[in-house]
Parts: sequence; C-alpha cells; structure tokens
Amino acid sequence: MCIDAQMLSAYLDGELAEPYRTQVKEHLEHCPACRHHLEDMREIGDRIRSTEYPSQMLDRNKDRILSVLDAKYFQNGRKVGFFRRRLEVSLPSLVTAAAAVVFIFIGSFMFFGTSDEQTGEILPSFAVQAGNGSVRYVSDAASLDNFTLEEILHYLDSKGYNVDISIKGLQPLDTSIPAAESAE
Amino acid sequence: MEIKSTDRDDFRRVYDADYHLLVQVIMHIVYNLEIAEDLTQEAFERFYVKNMTFPSEEDARYWLIRVAKNLALNHIRRNKREIEMVEKVKRMPSAAADEKDGASEAIERENREEVRRAIDALPENLRLVIQLKEFSGLDYKSISKVLGISETNVKVRVFRARKKLEEVLRGDERDVY
Ligand SMILES: [Zn+2]
Repeated sequence: MCIDAQMLSAYLDGELAEPYRTQVKEHLEHCPACRHHLEDMREIGDRIRSTEYPSQMLDRNKDRILSVLDAKYFQNGRKVGFFRRRLEVSLPSLVTAAAAVVFIFIGSFMFFGTSDEQTGEILPSFAVQAGNGSVRYVSDAASLDNFTLEEILHYLDSKGYNVDISIKGLQPLDTSIPAAESAE
Repeated sequence: MEIKSTDRDDFRRVYDADYHLLVQVIMHIVYNLEIAEDLTQEAFERFYVKNMTFPSEEDARYWLIRVAKNLALNHIRRNKREIEMVEKVKRMPSAAADEKDGASEAIERENREEVRRAIDALPENLRLVIQLKEFSGLDYKSISKVLGISETNVKVRVFRARKKLEEVLRGDERDVY
C-alpha cells in the first residue's frame, strides 16, 4: 500500500516521527510513484523559496531603522514630539491672519525631493504611483493634499528626519472686483 | 536566555536576529518594500512599548512574527481598494521594463508572479502557514506557537496548501505545452 500524501508531506519537512519515518524511507526505495510524488512536492517548495527576496534588498534600511528606534527609546534626551511642543502652539496663530505658505526642509533637500527615490522615502504611498520621473495618478486618493501637515511631520519624525520648518505669511489676496471688469 | 524588550542589549540582539525575517514575512503579504519596512519598524516599536519579558529569544521571535503578520494583514484589509488600483497599473504591459531586463530577469519575474498568484489564491489560513514554512525556516512546532494552533493543524495545513499549489502550478505548465 502506498504512502498517504499527508505523511509524505511531513516526511519532506523532516517532521515525521519514528517508526513512520523509517517505514516511509523503506517504501520510497522501491516505489517510483511515491518517489515521484515526493519530488513534485519538493519542487513546489523550491519554487516558492525561489521567490524569496534577497538580503541586500530586505536589509537596506536595517541600520537606519535601528538607529531611529535607538534614538527614540534608548538614548537620553530622546526627542518626544518636537512639533507638538513648538508647532501646534505657534502654527494656528500664524495662520489666522493671512494665507501662509509652509516650506518644509528635510535634511538638505526640499519636501518634494528631486527624485522618485527621495519622494519615495518621504511618502511611500505617494511614490508607489510615481514611476520613472513621471507621476501617474491612479486615483486622487493619495496625493499629498490628503495628508495633514501634522501627519506629514509625524511621519518624517518617526523616520528620524531632522525637519526644519519655516512659515511665510503672505499678503491676503485682493478679492475686490474692479468696476470695469465686473461690468462685462 | 531571558529577553527584556526594554533592555537595550536585548532589544538589539532580537532586532539583529529577526529584522530580516520580519521584513521577508511581511513582504510576502504586502509586496511593497517601503511598507514592509514601515510595518517592521512598527512591530519593533510595539515590542519595546509592550515592555515584556520573554522566556527566550525564540519566544520573542514568535511574538514578533505574530505581530508583524497581523500588522501586514491589517494593512492589506485597510488599503484593499488603493492596493488593487496600484496593482492594476503595475500589471499594465510595459515595454520599457521588458527591454531593460535581461531574459533571465524576465523569467525570474515571471516565476515570481506566477507563484505569487498561486499563493494569493490560497485561503488565508493555508497561505500563512505555507509562507511561514517556506520562508522562515521555522518547524511545525514553532509555527504552531506563532499562529496559536496545534502542531497537527500546522501539518494538515502545510499539506493542503502544497496540494492546492501543486494543482495550480502544474495546471499552468499543462497550459503552456
Ligand atoms: Zn508508493
């Protein structure tokens, strides 16, 4: 009688206990059909494992993330919600008077990085849609407009960026309509 | 050796040992490296914040894999619509990509896509078990601890997943010839 397929699967994983293991082994020696089935299962496993992602890819940010976590949890003077302290207090009062333009500098480059890679590092879900320099809008659900300033800052902070913010107050728009044009 | 999640040395040891595995496991659920890295970071943050003492490094690992897996599944569920849209765009035939890749890269990508489709088609309870089995190098006992199911259950699910994958992937081959 041939070996139950489930037993064969456990045998393949080295998880079959004695005395079954020895019995299966002996059966396999003189049964081409079961040997063939075992090979098939092994091949499936090989194919699945061949889709494993390579180390250099998976580990590219291993050190960086560790230092972020280390700074956040283990170092003295850990930076706790820097924008909570400074920004939340000051922003509303600044914005009330006039339209305000907010510039955010990350390290040395501007918010909308100069390459996909930079943009991707800042906002992955945005960069997913940006391929090779040209931005393809899949939907309007994930443009930067849908992130509040706080969300953006929070994200950058969690990534360990040093964020520099400057706010410029602008003149309010002149919304009065000149008489000549309104007549048209 | 006991592991205290808020101890700096313990944390580093666990991070060093398990980071790679967590990204790998999450990648095979979300298929996006930036997101996988984010969720891996999140898993380690929870590990610290939880402030737990684990009886061994292995127990810490099982806990982390479980959390990582749940974070990844939640991410998929929450972002189902957006992910589908991005996928649609990615699957659009792109001549540029084919030209850029060599023949072997194209075949490799093809194999990856095919296996991915086959695995994605499995019911969730089978999918996770076979992924953990093949990608994590964990044995049945460890997988049973990660998933909170019995060892026998792991054995049965690994087998069922294999059987289904065999059907799908073999079926593909028959289509070709
Ligand atoms: Zn046989």
